[in-house]
Amino acid sequence: MQTSGLTVYIVEDDQSVRDAVGLLLGLHGHAVAMFADAESFLQAYRPEWSGCLLLDIRMPGMNGLELQERMARIGCRMPAIVMTGHGDVDSARQAFRAQAVDFLEKPLDQARLLDAIAEAFQRQDTLRRTSESRATIDKRLAALTPRELEVMELVVAGRHNRDIATELGISVRTVEVHKARMMDKLGAANVADLVRLSLGAGVS
Amino acid sequence: MQRQNPSIPHRTERKPAMLSSTRPGWRDIALLVVGYVALDWASFIHPLHGLNITPWNPAPALGLVLLLRHGTRMVPAIVVAILIAEIWVRGLPAALPVTLAVAALLTGGYWLIATVIYKYLPEGVIFADRRGLFIWAATVAAGTLLTSGIFVVALALSGYVPMDGIGGAVLQFWVGDGAGVLVSMPLLWMLFDDYRRRQLRQVVFHPGFLAYLALIAGALWIAFGLGASAAFKYFYALFIPIAWAASRHGLPGAVIAAALIQFGIILAVKSQGIAAITVLEIQILAAVIALFGFFVGVVVDEKQRVSNELRQTLRLAAAGEMAGALAHEMNQPLTALSAYGSACEQLLDRGDTGPTLRDALRGMTRESHRAAEVLRRLRDFFRTGSTRLEPIDLAELIDAAATSFAARGKRDAVTLSVGPIPPLRLLGDRLQLEVVLRNLLSNAFDAVAERPPGERRIRLDAHDEGGAQVCIVVEDNGAGCDEARLAGLFDGFRSTKSSGLGLGLMISRAITEAHGGSLWAETGDHGIFKLSLPTEGTSLHAD
Repeated sequence: MQTSGLTVYIVEDDQSVRDAVGLLLGLHGHAVAMFADAESFLQAYRPEWSGCLLLDIRMPGMNGLELQERMARIGCRMPAIVMTGHGDVDSARQAFRAQAVDFLEKPLDQARLLDAIAEAFQRQDTLRRTSESRATIDKRLAALTPRELEVMELVVAGRHNRDIATELGISVRTVEVHKARMMDKLGAANVADLVRLSLGAGVS
Repeated sequence: MQRQNPSIPHRTERKPAMLSSTRPGWRDIALLVVGYVALDWASFIHPLHGLNITPWNPAPALGLVLLLRHGTRMVPAIVVAILIAEIWVRGLPAALPVTLAVAALLTGGYWLIATVIYKYLPEGVIFADRRGLFIWAATVAAGTLLTSGIFVVALALSGYVPMDGIGGAVLQFWVGDGAGVLVSMPLLWMLFDDYRRRQLRQVVFHPGFLAYLALIAGALWIAFGLGASAAFKYFYALFIPIAWAASRHGLPGAVIAAALIQFGIILAVKSQGIAAITVLEIQILAAVIALFGFFVGVVVDEKQRVSNELRQTLRLAAAGEMAGALAHEMNQPLTALSAYGSACEQLLDRGDTGPTLRDALRGMTRESHRAAEVLRRLRDFFRTGSTRLEPIDLAELIDAAATSFAARGKRDAVTLSVGPIPPLRLLGDRLQLEVVLRNLLSNAFDAVAERPPGERRIRLDAHDEGGAQVCIVVEDNGAGCDEARLAGLFDGFRSTKSSGLGLGLMISRAITEAHGGSLWAETGDHGIFKLSLPTEGTSLHAD
């Protein structure tokens, strides 16, 4: 169950609930950080944090749903699990619209809580992986010269070397050299690889 | 002096579904015949041409009430009653066939009036609102005019009324019937209805009833004693008692006052031998006074009903909020309990029986106590159920609340002083108001706990605010409230301690408002809570 480097951030105003849930999650091998209100969480927040949020809806000051919105606005994509004393449809809808992983009613069901955390961590992991691979591709693309980039775009568009040469006003031989260098820099073995890469990076 | 909550909101009146639905019992028929003849006999004054053309004729009111209650089946009984009255009271002034025809004609007229009233007021709620009252009065006025015209013309054609006297006869008959019905019918109507009879009884057994009687007697003396020598210029004095009764007791008050005034007028007319033409004028005035009183009474009833409904709505809203607060308050300890329980299980699975397990178990005990505390406090509030009003001595109430904190004051080294309490009486639910005061005092004790022992002071005061309001002030020398804290103070979900200060204040406020008062905190360098409540003698109608 333990996922390295991921933390459950509990934001709950009730000290006993915070302690008890923190203890339980700790015993299940999760790293836990606890906050008494949304404001103190926001103050402490670092962008490199990863894991998931376990939020109480009813809190003095900023409530859990407002915190969820605020996190989305500042670009934090950490998945959130929302807890509430009495689950009304409106809050549930709002929570799920803001991409909540689950909406749990108090008293919490242990199995559901652990499942929700596992799912949240999985989501966080996927997020992290895609953002990691995107970062790699972006880095490789940045290494291309403007000419190589032009050649890549035309290759991805399905043009033959001869067409590309005419289009760019260079010899076919030069196109071949640019193409080979470009494929090498991107680490693409063939055109299919290249297309996949360019799609992943959102270049077209 | 209290209006005793005379109207249940939205009472659906028991009424026949159609103007011919319930079969009259022999009791009602006998009541009609005997009552009709008796009223006719009592009101047979200043007859015109020895006929039943008198300036006061309340008997048809009885006929109308029974027609409305039992419908067309009552018609033969009314004909019989009229015949008996003609024979017994007046010795049959006209020939029997004419009398029979006239009786049938009058009965037809009353039946028509009853049918029209029933058509426009199908639920039979004649005296429930202004519209009903207006339709009733207009129908009675128009219907009796029509009946009078036909009746008098028929008698004139038979030669019992001179042709040139038709106008005067119609006027007298109309005023007699119209005023008689307008003044007496509401009273008879209410007497035939169990619920309304209770309302009437409430007015009569009210301690203020003797004052009504005295005022009515006084007004009658002004109108007929002083007024007789001044051509009844002071008749308007009679408006005062009916206005008073109507504004205090609504329609039942107005109905009783109108009946008493009418009775007084008849006594005066008989004892003073007042001229027929004057009696006619007096009857018109009596009808106007009665209508005025009924309209005031109905408006008072309507206002009362609206305020009861509003109060009910507010109470439901408060109950909804309380339920939400209760769910939150109970869920927190339960959530902690179940999490601690799961944690203990986990620890035992691992064979870890060290301090972590002990802490978790202690946490469970603590949380169970907390849940029990929430329940105990809620039980305090709900124990009394609905608000039951009784007169409460303010000083006793405050003493009881202060005494219950004496032991805690000693233990926590808090000086609790009670200021001079004005000798006032409240009308309220003693248990609930004590709960509010205890809650405020408990908050004050928590607030002064921050200060060192010996410097903890709480003061309980009460001031007569005038306008039948008393303001109870609970002051402590704790930190007090700033604007920000004040804003969320009465919100059940914004508790500053685990036992939920906000919930207690919210319920206290709901109780206070159900008593027609208000509860608020003031900003300052120390804690100030103020509780304003109406004292006995103001109009307060919580039920």
